[in-house]
Amino acid sequence: MPRRSRSQHLGVSASAGGAVACACAASATFLGGWLAGGAGIDVPWAPTWDLRLAFELDGLAALYGLLAAGIGVLVFVYASAYVPRHLADQGRSRREEARLHAAMVLFLVSMLGLTTAQDLILLFVFWDLTAVASWLLIGFDRRNRDARLSALMALLVTAISAVLMLIGILMLRVEYATTQLPELFAVARPSTTVSAAVGLIAVAALAKSAQVPFHFWLPRAMAAPTPVSAYLHSAAMVAAGVFLLSRIHPLIALDADLLDGLLVVGFASMAVGGVLALAADGLKRLLAYSTISQYGYVVTMLGVGGSSGAAAASFYVLAHALAKSALFMTAGTVTAATGAKSLRDTGGLARAMPLLAIASAAAVAAIAALPLTIGFFKDELFFKAALERGDVVAALAVAGAALTFAYMMRFWSGIFLGAPRAAPQPVERRLVWPVVLLAGLVLIGGIVVAPFAGLARDAAAATHAGAVKLDVAYHLDARAENLMALAAYTLGLLVLALRPVLEASLGLVERVGNRFGPERAYGVSLRGLNRISDRLHAVEVRDLRARVAAVIVPAAVLVAVGVAFTPTAGSYRIGNVLAADAPLVATLAVCALAAVAVTAPRRHLSLALTLSAVGFALATAYSLMDAPDVALVAVLIETIFALLFVGVFALLPGDVLRREAQLRVHRSRTVRDIVVATLSGVVTMLVVWAAFSRPQPDAAMAERHLELADDAHGKDVVTVILADFRGLDTLVEVTVVAVAMIGVSMLLALRARA
Amino acid sequence: MNLLFALVIGVLFGSGVFLLLKPDLFRVVAGLVLISNAANLTLMASGLTRGLAPIGRAAGDERVADPLVQAMTLTALVIGFAVTALLLGLSVSVYRSRHSVDLDELSRQQAADAVRREAREAPHDEEHELDESDEQRVAYHEAPT
Repeated sequence: MPRRSRSQHLGVSASAGGAVACACAASATFLGGWLAGGAGIDVPWAPTWDLRLAFELDGLAALYGLLAAGIGVLVFVYASAYVPRHLADQGRSRREEARLHAAMVLFLVSMLGLTTAQDLILLFVFWDLTAVASWLLIGFDRRNRDARLSALMALLVTAISAVLMLIGILMLRVEYATTQLPELFAVARPSTTVSAAVGLIAVAALAKSAQVPFHFWLPRAMAAPTPVSAYLHSAAMVAAGVFLLSRIHPLIALDADLLDGLLVVGFASMAVGGVLALAADGLKRLLAYSTISQYGYVVTMLGVGGSSGAAAASFYVLAHALAKSALFMTAGTVTAATGAKSLRDTGGLARAMPLLAIASAAAVAAIAALPLTIGFFKDELFFKAALERGDVVAALAVAGAALTFAYMMRFWSGIFLGAPRAAPQPVERRLVWPVVLLAGLVLIGGIVVAPFAGLARDAAAATHAGAVKLDVAYHLDARAENLMALAAYTLGLLVLALRPVLEASLGLVERVGNRFGPERAYGVSLRGLNRISDRLHAVEVRDLRARVAAVIVPAAVLVAVGVAFTPTAGSYRIGNVLAADAPLVATLAVCALAAVAVTAPRRHLSLALTLSAVGFALATAYSLMDAPDVALVAVLIETIFALLFVGVFALLPGDVLRREAQLRVHRSRTVRDIVVATLSGVVTMLVVWAAFSRPQPDAAMAERHLELADDAHGKDVVTVILADFRGLDTLVEVTVVAVAMIGVSMLLALRARA
Repeated sequence: MNLLFALVIGVLFGSGVFLLLKPDLFRVVAGLVLISNAANLTLMASGLTRGLAPIGRAAGDERVADPLVQAMTLTALVIGFAVTALLLGLSVSVYRSRHSVDLDELSRQQAADAVRREAREAPHDEEHELDESDEQRVAYHEAPT
């Protein structure tokens, strides 16, 4: 039906347009806010806990928010061309595209909230929202088992570490009675508690940024559609980790050991990511390892700390996000055009796709830190910060940069140089020009660097909690940074030349890492937990009655122990029985007798009638307790109950009920049931008796309600309470009844359909 | 009266639990009705004053029954009614899909179903999808295509 597909088409285009518009609006807001010098919102959230919805658009928020929203615009445009192809390849409906847009916008919004939040609890909420959105996005191909497992892995690694972060936040709250960041920065002093709390938060941040040893989720997350990778795994999700480190950096800087820890993790990630990127063959896999390594740089610089470390880190994030998302999109376009997903199957595309080749060359050059791109300055700042920390750090920095140079060159030359492997199909322009635009930004940043440096400087000022000097320019002299850059290029070329020799050992490293690395620990623990839950399920859930007894008996025993060990002398009061209470006593006795009698009959009809007898006896008791409203309702309900039970029995064939009635229950089982019932009855009685003995009779409550009912112009106090004082409750209650009735009628209507 | 109320409530609750442990679904529902009756009586009996019905009394009259617990009990009664109706509807639909209201019989059927399903879906069992062997894991790493 062409008409229907066309309207679907329009709906999908509208959702794509909406997503792009959202991202554009967010970028404009953040850019405007940053240029205007910042803005903030601060409204109470939960005043009793001193929680505020405090958002502040400072330099750090401007940097990460602009990256998320700005790159978001380009990625959303790219996705509008990529995702229909992706869905068509898998034979799925185009309507599913809207789901992707919704999840991407959710991600964008939670990312913007995260960057601006000034309260740690608020920050945690957005942090988890990004994890949920990324789970939806990575698992977009939900029929694909790998995609589902990868989404689950990303969710578990980031969400479980987020719990550590929450513990850290609560520790800070207990220590300083606040979760507002500006207040914390003002009052926090070095102490073991603060170090432990900040360390826990840092673990969550490192897991989110896919740093060693939590790096394994990121390559697996490449099961996501390429636009998702381009967005989450370059500019947003992964950046959230280093964002958090930057946000709480004033607290981290209180403890030199924490800074050293960041330094170690950063260098380890640089090395692991770099070596694995050199070994990897899949295009997106290579980029994922490269991301691990690149964020390793940022973590290293945050570990160096101080003014120059902060400056280098924020500039690095900016330059890397622009270039890396361009590269992810390049990989997606190459796959869309040729169907190839690994370096093995690509090559020689420069002639067929010259524009893409040039644009991605600029992005590759930026990450490899060649001059005339914004990337050159990121390494200049990096080397400068490393030099300040000492010779060892500087040497390691050069080695890391050399690895980066080598795998980036390998990526680009593997795709665009060499002998052509596959003839590319023509692709939509929307698959190319977002890459070209990003490449343009990267090149402009290589010449007119001032606006980019300004953004990074403001972000660094927030990280460093003080003014930061960040000036970048080309210096044509033999200063240390320039020499280090030259050394990195030379070493990188050397590594590239030696790679064929190293190939076998690189492959081995990757295989050993997969087999014995942290991913294995993840798998083992997940399988173990699964097995435990299966076993519990088998033991507990198979038999409803065993489960009921398993809840009731321990509860009764625990309460009985509690009652036994509570000093109770004189606290149980028997209470007066007046002559006027005789009818009530008699009614209650009938009620108790009827309740015991319910357990006896075999036939279902007798069961229903005895049950009604209990109900009507209770209704009588209510009327003798001077509660006419309750008694009236109870009579009504008991009448309906009696009809309902009889009606339900009429719906079932008699032989089923008869069979059930004649079923012999094993004697030992009856004994067990009687013991459980008696135990629970006795304990209930004790607890209720204790509760009734506690408050003194007091007329003030009734009196106050009489006065209030007068004010409400009502004569019947109970009605006034229900309809006026607790009107909203009653409304909800009526809704519950209505919903239950709808449920009953649907359950009964099921037969009609069957 | 305190002790008397407590005794009756204990008997109601105990009888309810006894029925709850029966294999017959309808007896389970009856047990829940008894337990909610016990709860209602607890609410009613926990009033701070007993006396005249709180209808049409003037403020200052000291011999009025506590209206608050009466309002609470009313609410509880109605909700309990809705829940029981839903439980009865569920029991009927259980009978319709399984042709039995016997919990022992139902769990036997469920166990048999599970065995049959496992036999049928062993290669792609959703529930155990994390139990993949290490060989599959490695294979995934090697072949991203």
